[in-house]
Amino acid sequence: MTEDITTQLKNTFLFKGLPDDALTAVAQKARIRQLAEGDVLMRRGDSGDSLFMINDGWFKIVTENAQGEELIINKAGPGETIGEMALLDEAPRSATVVALSDAKVLELRKDAFYEILDQRPDVALSLIRGFSSRLRFSTTYIQKAIDWSQKIAAGDYGFIESTQQFPKAAASDDDKATQLLSAFFQMVRSVKAREDELKHQLEKLTLEIDEARRKQEFEDLTSTDFYANLKEQAKRLRAQRAASQGEE
Amino acid sequence: MANGKIVSIHSFRGGTGKSNTTANLAAQAALAGKRVGIVDTDIQSPGIHVLFGLDETKMGKTLNDFLHGKCTIREVALNIGEKASDSEGRAKLAGKDIWLLPSSIRGREISQIIREGYDVNRLNEGFQTILKELNLDYLFIDTHPGLNEETLLSIAISDILIIILRPDNQDFQGTAVTVDIARSLDIPNLILMVNKALPKYDPADIKKTIEATFNAPVAGVLPLSFDLADNASKDLFSLRFPDHEWSKALCGVADAILAVK
Ligand SMILES: Nc1ncnc2c1ncn2[C@@H]1O[C@H](COP(=O)(O)OP(=O)(O)OP(=O)(O)O)[C@@H](O)[C@H]1O
Ligand SMILES: [Mg+2]
Repeated sequence: MTEDITTQLKNTFLFKGLPDDALTAVAQKARIRQLAEGDVLMRRGDSGDSLFMINDGWFKIVTENAQGEELIINKAGPGETIGEMALLDEAPRSATVVALSDAKVLELRKDAFYEILDQRPDVALSLIRGFSSRLRFSTTYIQKAIDWSQKIAAGDYGFIESTQQFPKAAASDDDKATQLLSAFFQMVRSVKAREDELKHQLEKLTLEIDEARRKQEFEDLTSTDFYANLKEQAKRLRAQRAASQGEE
Repeated sequence: MANGKIVSIHSFRGGTGKSNTTANLAAQAALAGKRVGIVDTDIQSPGIHVLFGLDETKMGKTLNDFLHGKCTIREVALNIGEKASDSEGRAKLAGKDIWLLPSSIRGREISQIIREGYDVNRLNEGFQTILKELNLDYLFIDTHPGLNEETLLSIAISDILIIILRPDNQDFQGTAVTVDIARSLDIPNLILMVNKALPKYDPADIKKTIEATFNAPVAGVLPLSFDLADNASKDLFSLRFPDHEWSKALCGVADAILAVK
């Protein structure tokens, strides 16, 4: 049992960097809770003070729209973790979570979690490291987004090709930085497509020649004695040069 | 008679870029190891000398002197490759076989020749003589816009005629007439070149449309460029900035000329 919990903890952002013995210590503090269909695990606005790991069964995550109607924003099932950030930031719950079936969850309460932190400074340190690397990850992409925005402003879309493989965030990906970039790239592609389309419309060159005028001007120029002479002379000259080149 | 080719650069209207194009095409041919002469037949408003860094003080005998029988054509030809060069682009022509035959830029001499006229046959003799005496591969002729007698002459005797046009309807109308004249005179090689193309047009589309309209090849579509305008004809742009879009397109035209058998 503890082993299952450890594996599940490893999938959470908060605990994934912790050493195994620390994870076991955390797992041992977790309590099992049984829920029936329709039971409310947490309510939007409650003070959040525990994390839940789903063992069995499904939950809906809901909020209310302006008319007070229920709005399902997501579903969660076995192996998923709900409310991990509540252990640290003490913010009220942002959504309501209701069991869709009979369900079993493991609950880790804030005080049990803090007890571990008291006893294990190394665990506290690992947590801080995890946060700062996440922060760095986000700022790196924010910086990239700034650089790309400047390129777009200058009309340079070349980076789309060279960065193709990167921003394919899955819908379930909870990494907001990646989601932002994915949206960003989608925006750039559609902007570029529109711009190309626009260019195409502008580029058609129209060409108008007044054929009557063309004919008249040609006749005026070629009806002179000078022109007749010139034509003769040019012909003679060319023949001479062709002959002399043949000799060489 | 000489073996070299006469290449006339013409446009129906003024300011299309004839002088810049002529000077750069000639310079590219010289860089490719050809023996090259350049004649400024725009006697009324000479301009190409500026691109070679010449002013009144550096000019010796001119085409006007030759046409008035005051000197031989050979005395007019100024060796550009020999001169110590004063600009980055022109410096690349050091030691190359390239000569400029300038027109006078003295107001009095210009008005005299406009008033009195001259014998276009003598101009023709001059071309043939200089081709032979300098053993030129190419004689490039920068012309006065329009279709006056000396321009008609340089068109008539050319082996290759480059007609420059800008993508606008006034240029199309005049170019149509010039193309008809070139055909009537049996010019062996007629090449079109577009200059000052606006970025809103697709160069490939310009080329296709113009080739279909005039039934003649377009050897290059050169963009309108602030960099070129900024250079203000002070240097040979394609030598100074060989990687610029304008220069690359110009070299395409030079290649088309050098490819003519
Ligand atoms: N592609 C271009 N983009 C911007 N400016 C250009 C371009 N080509 C030429 N120019 C500018 O246009 C002007 C005219 O060029 P140029 O003197 O070569 O033309 P031209 O046909 O010889 O003129 P003219 O008919 O007066 O002899 C110059 O100021 C030149 O710098
Ligand atoms: Mg000119």
